[in-house]
Amino acid sequence: MALPGFNLPGLGIRSTSTPQVTGTSAPDVEQPSRREELAPQSEWRFEAGFIQSYSVRLVSGHAELFGVELAQNQTHNLSGLKGAVFTWQGCELEVIGEAESEYSAQETEYATEWINLHGMLESARDGASEGPRVLVVGPDSTGKSSMVRSLAAWAVRQGRAPTVVHLDPREGLLAPPSSLTAVTIVSQMEVDGWGISPMTGPSLQPVRSPLVYHFPYATPSERPNAFKAIVTRSALTTLNKLEEDPLAKQSGIIIDTPGGLNDPKSNYDMIHHIISEFSINLVVALGSERLYNDLNRRYTSKSPEDAIAVLKLAKPGGAVERDNAYMKQLRARQVRQYFFGSKESLNPHSHSIPTNDLTIYRAKPASSDAALPSFGAEDEDDYDPAATSTSSSNTMYEKVAPSLAMTGALIAIKFCSSNSEEATIRDSAIMGYLYVADVDEARKKVRFLAPHPQRWGDRALVWGTWPEAAADLVR
Amino acid sequence: MSALSPRGSISGTSDVAVDFEDSLRDLSRNDRYEIGNLTSIAREYTEYAQAISRVLENHIKTTAPNKKLPALYVLDSIVKNVGTPYTVYLGRNLYSTFMEAYTLVDGMTRRAMDSLLKTWKEPVPGSMDHRPVFPPEIVRPIENALIKAKTAALQNQRQVQQPPYRSTPTPPQYNGQYAVPPTPNQHEQYPQYVYGNSQAAPPQQQWQPAMPPPTPQQQPPFLSLNPAARPMIDVSTLRADISALISRLQMAFAASPSDQGLITQLHALLKLKQVVDSGAVPDAALQEVRTKVTALAAVAPDPRRSPQPPVPTPQWQATPAMQQPAPYQPPASVSQAYQYPGSGTLPFAQPAASMLNHTAPPLLAPNALNGLQALLANGQKPSTPQMRTAVPALQNMPHTQLNNVQNNITAAPTSNTADLLAALSKSGVLSSLPSTTPQTAPAQNSTLPPPNTSSTTSLLASLQSILPPSQNSTPTTHAAQPAGTQSKAAIPISNSALKTFRPELVQALYDNQPNQCSTCGRRFLATEEGRAKKQRHLDWHFRTNQRLADPNASRGQHRQWFLDEVEWISIPEFDPSTASAADTTAAATVQKKRGAQDQYIRAPAGITRLTCTVCQEEMKSSYSEELQDWVFTNAVYYNGKPAHATCVEEMKKPWGGGGGGSLAAALSMTGQRQRSATPESSLGKRKAEGTLAGNGARLKTG
Ligand SMILES: [Zn+2]
Ligand SMILES: [Zn+2]
Repeated sequence: MALPGFNLPGLGIRSTSTPQVTGTSAPDVEQPSRREELAPQSEWRFEAGFIQSYSVRLVSGHAELFGVELAQNQTHNLSGLKGAVFTWQGCELEVIGEAESEYSAQETEYATEWINLHGMLESARDGASEGPRVLVVGPDSTGKSSMVRSLAAWAVRQGRAPTVVHLDPREGLLAPPSSLTAVTIVSQMEVDGWGISPMTGPSLQPVRSPLVYHFPYATPSERPNAFKAIVTRSALTTLNKLEEDPLAKQSGIIIDTPGGLNDPKSNYDMIHHIISEFSINLVVALGSERLYNDLNRRYTSKSPEDAIAVLKLAKPGGAVERDNAYMKQLRARQVRQYFFGSKESLNPHSHSIPTNDLTIYRAKPASSDAALPSFGAEDEDDYDPAATSTSSSNTMYEKVAPSLAMTGALIAIKFCSSNSEEATIRDSAIMGYLYVADVDEARKKVRFLAPHPQRWGDRALVWGTWPEAAADLVR
Repeated sequence: MSALSPRGSISGTSDVAVDFEDSLRDLSRNDRYEIGNLTSIAREYTEYAQAISRVLENHIKTTAPNKKLPALYVLDSIVKNVGTPYTVYLGRNLYSTFMEAYTLVDGMTRRAMDSLLKTWKEPVPGSMDHRPVFPPEIVRPIENALIKAKTAALQNQRQVQQPPYRSTPTPPQYNGQYAVPPTPNQHEQYPQYVYGNSQAAPPQQQWQPAMPPPTPQQQPPFLSLNPAARPMIDVSTLRADISALISRLQMAFAASPSDQGLITQLHALLKLKQVVDSGAVPDAALQEVRTKVTALAAVAPDPRRSPQPPVPTPQWQATPAMQQPAPYQPPASVSQAYQYPGSGTLPFAQPAASMLNHTAPPLLAPNALNGLQALLANGQKPSTPQMRTAVPALQNMPHTQLNNVQNNITAAPTSNTADLLAALSKSGVLSSLPSTTPQTAPAQNSTLPPPNTSSTTSLLASLQSILPPSQNSTPTTHAAQPAGTQSKAAIPISNSALKTFRPELVQALYDNQPNQCSTCGRRFLATEEGRAKKQRHLDWHFRTNQRLADPNASRGQHRQWFLDEVEWISIPEFDPSTASAADTTAAATVQKKRGAQDQYIRAPAGITRLTCTVCQEEMKSSYSEELQDWVFTNAVYYNGKPAHATCVEEMKKPWGGGGGGSLAAALSMTGQRQRSATPESSLGKRKAEGTLAGNGARLKTG
């Protein structure tokens, strides 16, 4: 095993004989299986837990899960997912295992809206050098992420290479939570997720290369200015990338956002910031009449050349709330998968480093100074990287000595030197995450779990309080 | 010697490659010592493996046919005795390297190449490594192409009533290299020297008892496939044939650079290849293209003459017997021919003399060649693979030749059917096509009667009907036409347009792409390109599964670090599951820039772990997809001991500009986008190019 000294109960070592089992391993016992006949334009809704295995197999007909077509006679593991297998043409499914909830549904008008939206985007791509730039907004649990997945998957199926920008720090995309990710999708999407970020060795699915920024707070409103700075930076790199790649440029951008972004009291400040930085030309408001009306009033009343189209889509009947317990499990799974893989079995590496050699910044919790209207520029000159635990309430980061409190936390490795200015640290993309396995205060050593055997050099390390510590990753 | 020598041009950066190239050029026969010497150079300079591989490939492509086999033996010796990374670099283009040579050489050399190919499917004899010399996915396409070509050739042969067979029965330039050695050193010839009992040795005894004696007629028909006998056209073979024709013309051109006809012909063929490569030619039309190519091959100048130094008398006069039509050579005469005591430079086939001999006055426009020279000097990438092939030759040309080429290229800048036809017709290609059964005219026929020109008009018409209408000439790595978008009506962006169900949108995702992968459900178009893509995709599944089944493959697997901004901006996005070799190479080239992390040490046999001499951490080997071998990544030798390349780099170079540097780089890439001091700064004044405007962006919703 790759981790001498670590005891890893049931983690990381997965038998290759059961590749269909994703995430937490489940006993491979005989599961009840049954057939479900689905009429055209109906769907099989399910909420599958993390522990019990739950899978479907397409027996006949055609079916897709959020835009990704299911291959016939392949067993697709869906445990830990909430979603709906949809069929345009009708199909027969074999369902194996138990879900917390499952039923077939005929009310699928949402699917028509989604695929029509896809058709609109395709029309906008045809013959254009620069494709549509879509911002998806709406309250939580209205199907935003599922729709973004569908739009991306359909586009790829038609030979496009859409770029998805994911701005919800509560759930990662090709990265653990607290990541804000951008990725250009050129290969077919996976039924059970966004795929795999680059790894060594063979993988069942083509890997994708994300660009990852770090926002270690649960919601943008905790640090609006930092969030906006990262949006600016992300737009800069993304638009630069599209200039390098004509197909990606033609395919356009789809941006997913957290529900917490839609704050009428701030006059939709952050939405406006994203629209402006990414030059958005289509806003899709999901499941909120008020949000749609506000945005429509604001953006379609402008002069023709400044006008931005705003569409209103209904919340799908199958969209369900994902409660805190579920989200917590999801985050833990994402963190685990980052280090240990899921279908692919990865070997993380242990790095034991003297505390004196470490420079760690703590991203301060928002509660201390969230109310301050501005942060950054005017204070940058005052920031002294050598001073530890500066009490200036305007700063986002403070240098901290490694302590037991870090145990189980994720530490982001920034693509910048450890003595960079605060704004540089804030805006830098990240090279990866470390997991704090053990802090030995007496012997002044910290043991990290890293995805990669290579050390990270003198790069700034940032400890955020989000996501919460994952105590059970290694013991 | 030859004007084609790409001296100093291919390698550019590497003296090693230039030296290698020099030695390679001197290799004119199966010389064990020289092959061994070249192999040693390759072994010693694996860091130049890519440059050396390119030089070797290019040499095989451009050298005279009688020198191709010795060069292929060099390739064989290197991949077997040195292995990676040469297997990777040479494997990428092995198909074209092999097939293009195959189309140009004589039957005996072909059999030697067949034997060679066979050994590549097997492990190196006596090696601990049980993997084949080249992975199956590289060798199989070559085998398939050969099988198809041979089958077609045989079928064709059966149908021929009065075949105007090539009059020369044997390849005299082989004058006994292996069969009847002119020198006493047969025992130490290359195949024996490599592994003692190597199967690479192509002695005639191998085939003589087993197969019917190969008649000379079996050789030329490789290009002379009868369309009627073949319901399906194999595009890769067709492409290879077109490429082969192109190389022949290029060589002929080098020999007689002032031949305007050749230049125009060459140009026309390059365009034809582009059209075929683009996949835009419907199946039925491919049949027609195939027929034309076959016919062209029959009359195209044979390069085997051109690279030769001037000879005192026309070669055929030395062997008057060969001028006689010889419909069938009995086996006896075949074996006799192997002992033909020829000069060694004697061409065994004659080009259509009229083509080589007619000359045009050189076009001299003093400034005309500046552009082309600038292009070559700047190392700018030529726009097509064909041009890339041609560039090394161009770089060695005197000004007058460059001038000619340039004039012809600029004379026909657009690529459409009309141009192609005009070029074909102007070059004499069309007018020289035989009017009937062109497929029966073997490539090396020197006794072909003057071509019948009466059919030019009908050929023009038929070409016009089969080729796609004027379209973008530069094939891109990405599908120019997205899948399943044939007849799409634009959908306005409005809330009301969201409500109506449009079956055609579903059809575009399903019915329009009927060709489905049963493993992952991915769909492909029912076009030739779709089929090719699916084939590459299935190969990818196969490779991946094979690798996953390998218990060693998962040891030491780990996630990679994320890319930094500059890398992410510049990394070429492509789908590895359908990628062509070009995509992969482009990506690998970009990856090369990543520096320390990408340095590696090949894992010594049996060693899976090393300790970094700098950080004392363990180093583990991993499997390199690119190198197809176990390596220690991020590893170098530091003071003779293994160490992480990054550890050494960190030690040598303290952390400098850091992320600020990458930001600066990102910003400097565009210049126009300035990041201002505050996070509020808006890039937002940028306008999208109004692409939605025409599609309803301005429509009021409702
Ligand atoms: Zn597949
Ligand atoms: Zn090291």
